[in-house]
Amino acid sequence: HGFYAEETLVGNLASMSPSERIKAIQKMPETMKKKREIRNKVLKEITKKSRHRSTQLSCCTQCLQGIAVSFRRFGNSLSEYFHLLQLQYKTLKVIGAEFGTSVLSYFIFLKWLLTFNIFSFLINFSFITIPQFVAAEPNNLSFTGLELLTGAGYFQQTVLYYGFYTNATISKIKNGPSYNMQLAYIFTVGLYFVICFLILLFSMAKSFCRNFINPQAYSGNASKLLCTWDFNITNEKAVKLKQKNLSTQIKEDLTEVNQEVLSFSVTGRVVCIAIHFASWVASLGTALAACAGVYFLSTNNLRLFVKGHRNDLESQAAMLVLPVVTSLLNVLIPFFYSWLGRLERFQTPGQHIYVTITRNIILKMSIVGILCYYWLNIVAASESQCWETLVGQDIYRFIVVDFIFCLLGSFFGEFLRRIIGTTVCVSLGLPEFDIGRNVLDLIYVQTLTWIGIFFSPLLPGIQIISFSIVFYVKKVSLMMNCQPPRKVWRTAQMTTSFMFLLFFPSFLGVLSVIGVTVWRLKPSEECGPFRGLSSMYAAVSEWIEVLENYTASKWVVWIYHNLITSELFFFILSTLVL
Amino acid sequence: VPMLQANPFQHRICHVFSTSDDGDDSMSFEDFLDMLSVFSDSATSDIKSHYAFRIFDFDDDGTLDKKDLEKLVNCLTGQGEESRLSSAEMEQLIQNILEESDIDKDGTINLSEFQHVVSRSPDFASSFKIVL
Repeated sequence: HGFYAEETLVGNLASMSPSERIKAIQKMPETMKKKREIRNKVLKEITKKSRHRSTQLSCCTQCLQGIAVSFRRFGNSLSEYFHLLQLQYKTLKVIGAEFGTSVLSYFIFLKWLLTFNIFSFLINFSFITIPQFVAAEPNNLSFTGLELLTGAGYFQQTVLYYGFYTNATISKIKNGPSYNMQLAYIFTVGLYFVICFLILLFSMAKSFCRNFINPQAYSGNASKLLCTWDFNITNEKAVKLKQKNLSTQIKEDLTEVNQEVLSFSVTGRVVCIAIHFASWVASLGTALAACAGVYFLSTNNLRLFVKGHRNDLESQAAMLVLPVVTSLLNVLIPFFYSWLGRLERFQTPGQHIYVTITRNIILKMSIVGILCYYWLNIVAASESQCWETLVGQDIYRFIVVDFIFCLLGSFFGEFLRRIIGTTVCVSLGLPEFDIGRNVLDLIYVQTLTWIGIFFSPLLPGIQIISFSIVFYVKKVSLMMNCQPPRKVWRTAQMTTSFMFLLFFPSFLGVLSVIGVTVWRLKPSEECGPFRGLSSMYAAVSEWIEVLENYTASKWVVWIYHNLITSELFFFILSTLVL
Repeated sequence: VPMLQANPFQHRICHVFSTSDDGDDSMSFEDFLDMLSVFSDSATSDIKSHYAFRIFDFDDDGTLDKKDLEKLVNCLTGQGEESRLSSAEMEQLIQNILEESDIDKDGTINLSEFQHVVSRSPDFASSFKIVL
C-alpha cells in the first residue's frame, strides 16, 4: 500500500515543472534523507522518459537550467551579503528572544517607517536638492546654536525649506539640457506619495489576507494553549516568566468563566453603560478642549511671526511654546485615557485596548487636523513674506520637540519607574513596555513628517536621525528597565491594525492636505519654486500647454486631458482601491 | 543545542527530529538542518503544524489524548509549585480544550483537528520559529 502511494507520488512529481516539483518536495513533512530518495527516484523517472527525445533539445534545456541555477545562486549570495549589512538584525533577534514577538512588532514597525523616510530623503535629495545646489544663492545669515531647535534663522536660507528653491529653469551650459525646477518639485513629491500609497496598499492587503480571522472563533482556550508558545524566546528567565504568566492567565480564565454567569443584573448593566457613556463624553471633551487650546495658542503665535524677523532670544524661544504645549498634551492626555479605561469594566481585555487606542487616535488626529487648518487657512492667508517656509519651520519645531519629549518620556516612563518600582514601592514591579502608546507616537510623528515633506524637502533626513536614535534608546531602555508583557497580545492582528491606522487617517489625511495646498492655495510672491503663479498646479498646466506645440509628446497631453483631469478616472481608481 | 536549552519542549524536539536508530535522541547534522528548516520563516504552515503535532504528542501514538494534553499544560506552565495547575483546574481546562477542538468527539485530537485549530490562529506561524 505504501509502495503504491509512493509510485503515484513519484509519477505526479515527474510530470510537474522543475520549480513546482521543488516546491512540492519542500512541502512534504519528511526527513531530508527521505526527500532526497524521492527526488532521486523522480529524476530517474524523468531521464527514463526523456531518453526518447533528441539530444539537441536536452542540450538547450540544460543550458537554460544552468543559467537559471547560476542566477539563483547569485541571488542567494547577494541576499546573504545584504543580511550581513543589516546591523539591526542581531538586535531584533535579541529583543524577540527576551520579550517575545509582540514587543518585536513595535521595533519592526519602526524599522519599516525608517525605510520610508530613507527612500523619501534619497528621492528628494537627488531630484530636488542637488539641482538646487547648482543654482544656489549665498547665505547671509549667521549661525547660532539655537537654530537646531527652532529651525529659523540661518536655516531659513538653506535648502532645508521650500522658500530657498528657485523657480528658474536651471541649465549649466547655455542651450544645453535644462532642468525645470517647478516641475521637478511637483513631480518628485507627487511620485513619492504615489509610491508610498501603493506600498501601503499592498502591505495592508497582504497582511490582512494572511491574518484575517473570524473574531468570534479566536477566544478559545484551545488555540491559546496549542499555539501560543513563543519558540523565539531563548532566555531562561524569560521562559520562566512566560510560564508563570501563562499559568496565571489560565487560572484567571477558568475562574472568569465561572463568575461571568453571576454578575448580570439589570441595574448592573445600566450602571455599566452609564459609565461607558460618561467616559466617552469625558474623553471627547478633553480632545475638544485640547484642540481649542492649540488653536488659540497658534493664532497668538502667528502675531509673533508676521511682525517681522526679530532674532533676539526671547522671540525665538517664544516660537517653541506651541510645540512644547502640544507635545505635553499628547503625553499627558493618554494617561488620563488609560486611567478612565481602568475605571470602566470591559467584557474582554481586547475591548479595553481597542477603546483606548481609538480615543488616542481621535485625540492625535484632531490635533493634527487643527494644526493643518491653522497652517493652511491662517498662515497661508497672512501677510508674511514666505508662508510656506513658516509652515516648514513650524513642522520642524514640532518634530524636534516631539523627539525630545519621546526621549524624556522614555527616561521618566521607564527608567524612573523602574527605580521607583524596585526600591520605593516594590509592589509596582518593573514597568511593561507600552506598545500601543509607542506605536501611536510613531504614527503621529510620521504624519507630521509626511505633511512637512512638501514644505521642507529635507525633513525626512532629520526624521531618519531621530528614528535611529529612538530605536537605540528604546532598545536600551527596554533591556534595562522593562519586563515582558503580561497579557498575550494578538500580534498579527495588532500589526494589521497598525498598518491600517497608518494608512487610513494618517496617509489619506496627508494626501488631502497636500492636495489642498497644491490645487487651492496661492503660493507666496517672493520665494519658492512657484512664486508668482496663481496656484502650484498652474505650473503643470502651463507645461502641458507648452507640450501641446510639440507633436512628439502629444500622448502626454492626451493622458493629461483624458485621465488626470477627468473625474471618471479618479472614480474608477477609488473603486478599484476600495 | 544552545538555543533550545531554555525551551520546555527541548526533549520532544530532539526526539521528533532525531533519526538515529539507537533511540538516544541524538541528532545528526541532517536532522539539525531538518529542524531548522521546519522552524524557519519559509516553512509552510502545514509543515509547521505537522511537526508541532508530533512534538506535542508525548506518547507518540498519533493523537493528542488527555495524558498528552496534561503533559503539554505542565510544560507550558512550568514546574514551580505555585504555577502548576491543581488537578481540578487541569480537568476543567482539558475538558474545555476537547470541547472546542475535538470535532469527531472521540476524546482525542488528531492531526486534522489540530491543524484546524492552528489555522484559526494567525500568530502560530510567527511564534513557531527559531532564528539562528
